[in-house]
Amino acid sequence: MTDPNPIVFVVDDDASVRDAVKRLIASVGLRVETFGSAHEFLNHKRSDGPGCLVLDVRLPDLDGLEFQRALAEANICIPIIFITGHGDIPMSVRAMKAGAVEFLTKPFRGRELLCAIQEAIARDRVACSERAQMNELRARYGSLTVREKEVLGLVASGFLNKQIGAELGTSELTIKTHRGHVMQKMGAQSLADLVKMFEKLKPGDRKP
Amino acid sequence: MTGSYDYRLVTLSVVMAVCAAYAALDLAGRTTASRGRVRLVWLAGGAAAMGLGIWSMHYIGMLAFLLPVPVFYDWPTVVVSLFAAIFASGVALFVVSRRRMDWSDALAGSVIMGGGIATMHYIGMAAMRLPAMHHYDLPLVILSVLVAIVMSLVALWLSFHLRDHAKTSWPQKGASAFVMGAGVAAMHYTGMAAATFTPSTMPPDLSHAVHISPLGIAGITSVTLLVLGLVSISAFVDRRFAAQTRALTESELLKRQLENVVEELKKSEDRLRVLIETIPALAWTSLADGSNDFSNQRLLEYMGISLEQMQGAGWTTPFHPEDIGEHLDKWRSALATGEPFENEARVRRAADGEYRWFLIRGLPLRDERGNIVKWYGTMTDIEDRKRAEEALRKANADLAHITRVMTMGELAASIAHEINQPLAAVVTNADACMEWLSSEPPNLEEARAAVDCIAQDGTRASEVLRHIRAMFTKANPERTTVHVNELIREIDGLMQAEASRNQVALQTELAADLPATIGDRVQLQQVIVNLVLNGIEAMSAVTDRPRRLVIRSERQDSDQVLVAVRDSGVGIDAKDVRRIFDAFFTTKAQGMGMGLSICHSIIEAHGGRLWASTNSDHGATLQFTLPANRETVS
Repeated sequence: MTDPNPIVFVVDDDASVRDAVKRLIASVGLRVETFGSAHEFLNHKRSDGPGCLVLDVRLPDLDGLEFQRALAEANICIPIIFITGHGDIPMSVRAMKAGAVEFLTKPFRGRELLCAIQEAIARDRVACSERAQMNELRARYGSLTVREKEVLGLVASGFLNKQIGAELGTSELTIKTHRGHVMQKMGAQSLADLVKMFEKLKPGDRKP
Repeated sequence: MTGSYDYRLVTLSVVMAVCAAYAALDLAGRTTASRGRVRLVWLAGGAAAMGLGIWSMHYIGMLAFLLPVPVFYDWPTVVVSLFAAIFASGVALFVVSRRRMDWSDALAGSVIMGGGIATMHYIGMAAMRLPAMHHYDLPLVILSVLVAIVMSLVALWLSFHLRDHAKTSWPQKGASAFVMGAGVAAMHYTGMAAATFTPSTMPPDLSHAVHISPLGIAGITSVTLLVLGLVSISAFVDRRFAAQTRALTESELLKRQLENVVEELKKSEDRLRVLIETIPALAWTSLADGSNDFSNQRLLEYMGISLEQMQGAGWTTPFHPEDIGEHLDKWRSALATGEPFENEARVRRAADGEYRWFLIRGLPLRDERGNIVKWYGTMTDIEDRKRAEEALRKANADLAHITRVMTMGELAASIAHEINQPLAAVVTNADACMEWLSSEPPNLEEARAAVDCIAQDGTRASEVLRHIRAMFTKANPERTTVHVNELIREIDGLMQAEASRNQVALQTELAADLPATIGDRVQLQQVIVNLVLNGIEAMSAVTDRPRRLVIRSERQDSDQVLVAVRDSGVGIDAKDVRRIFDAFFTTKAQGMGMGLSICHSIIEAHGGRLWASTNSDHGATLQFTLPANRETVS
């Protein structure tokens, strides 16, 4: 997996805080993009690649937690570091539960933020590769014919070729041929490998 | 044998009949007007006079009839005929003089009267003594009786309806008398026409017989006219006398009625006066030009001026000098436009010299052409209402301030955010600067830019602080006399709800001899409320002892007022006792450390001192002193 330069998005309505955070992040050689409001960020076209979001809990247009929810609904997976003017425990608990990497109270030290950012990027990097693998897997699964998908499902469930042939009303030989195509199309090295791949696919992906 | 008529005597007989009829009409009126014996006398006299008139007419008519033989009269028969006439007249007078007369009365009366007259006539005929036989033509006899009855009916009807002389004019009465007279004469001459005389050789019985000579005619005529005249004159006199009596009675009655009306008016005026004097308002009236012409006693007593002063220029004196100008302007404008007048002004009460607020109203009374005749007005004491309004206004203002202080917690959150932003930027920039400096090679340009931003954000933070201070300190603090005990009592009232919500017993211990201080009432209120709220909050975690908060006032030295707010809360760490008045220092989880700092500034601005101490048992006491107002220090 190639790793382009990771990018950090900063959303804060206070210009001086925004600029300071940008300067701090830039000092460690990361790319930074800043936004004054939640909508500005949501309307921005992002390139794929690892990154993270530094988000002020109090935004003029959208509450930070609502923003977090909006991102989840839009299927945007990006680690979030919350910064807040007045940290209260219930809010930070909710934020962490909703998947925030860190919850920092202003004023925070530069190192704290930078560490959080590093962790977030690392997490996103893993997530990114996982996402890429999953996309690859889904693409391979998508190339199977309907019959091949049926065969794969039954193979992963531990049935023998003979049993599968009886189940689908065809000969054992035909099943063997299908199985060969499945192994080849999915790029599986072994039966165990194939089963693992199938397990990774969520039920939603497994639809014929 | 035919007779002829002496027309002079015929005329005389008719005149006689008319005179008798006139007298009868007069008499009917008098008989009606009188009562009891007088009525009987009038009836008898009237009947006699009228009977005599009719009878005279008859004999003059007889004498007008000339026969070629000498005629004598049997005088006893003649007397009987006179009584018949008097009887007939009596019946007639009786009928017409009654209160009411219906057709049956009139018919019966006229039959009797007509019958009487006819009887008189034929008895009179029977009294004749002459050397001739007389025969009667029956149809004409019946006709003559009918004429007599019809004439009587007409006479009764006319008499009855004309008897009230007040309503009858002289010519009317004359005409009626003429009709009646003519009727009597008609009857007589019809009766005469019914008789035919045939000569006879048998000499008449001349015993008791008399001859009526022209002298006799003159005698009968003059006596009859005299009697009729006397009757008419006495009727006239009686009528005039009665009219005078009636007029007198009427004027007496009118006088009495007038007196009653005057009495009623006086009573109603008295009632009105009592009403005007007792209504709980000051009432007045003015002429169209605005000059006062009446003021009730209450008004004069209130203002302590006389009616003369009120009616002159003196009425403006009791008005407050600040209000009289506007009052006069409005009054003049009301007089000019005729619009109802209304104004509120302070008027001095003479009894104690106090100015009280009055609502003064006036309404114009207009005549039918719409011109103003008078102004009616009242003055209503609205001092209590005004005071209530003022108190309400003040209470609202105070409440607004207190709410401002009480919501300081919420305000604190946004203030914290405001201050935190530049602080966060400062810290971040400082760290960024360090990063740039420690990179290889150090990026001095970026580091310099970061330091630049630090300076800017620092300035910004202090700006925010300055704003907050300005917000909590009024630009022009008021300097009025403040009675601290009063202030505490108000706060006690306002905070009881908050205290009981937090299960805190809020009590006051106020010194009786506390001098007043000079200061800004609202700011001092804010300070005490803030201390009370802090105390309540400090006890929120206390469960093992009563939550008790005492506001105490005390006189210190000779010229200081001390206010102490003592709680039984968690107390203050010894190391924090001095720091709690610093801005942004707080021991509270949610606090922002502004409240006490502001309180400190306010008290210092008042020339006092605010400090905290830990109680020997539990909790803390926050207290402040204020210099006493020198004038009130005794």
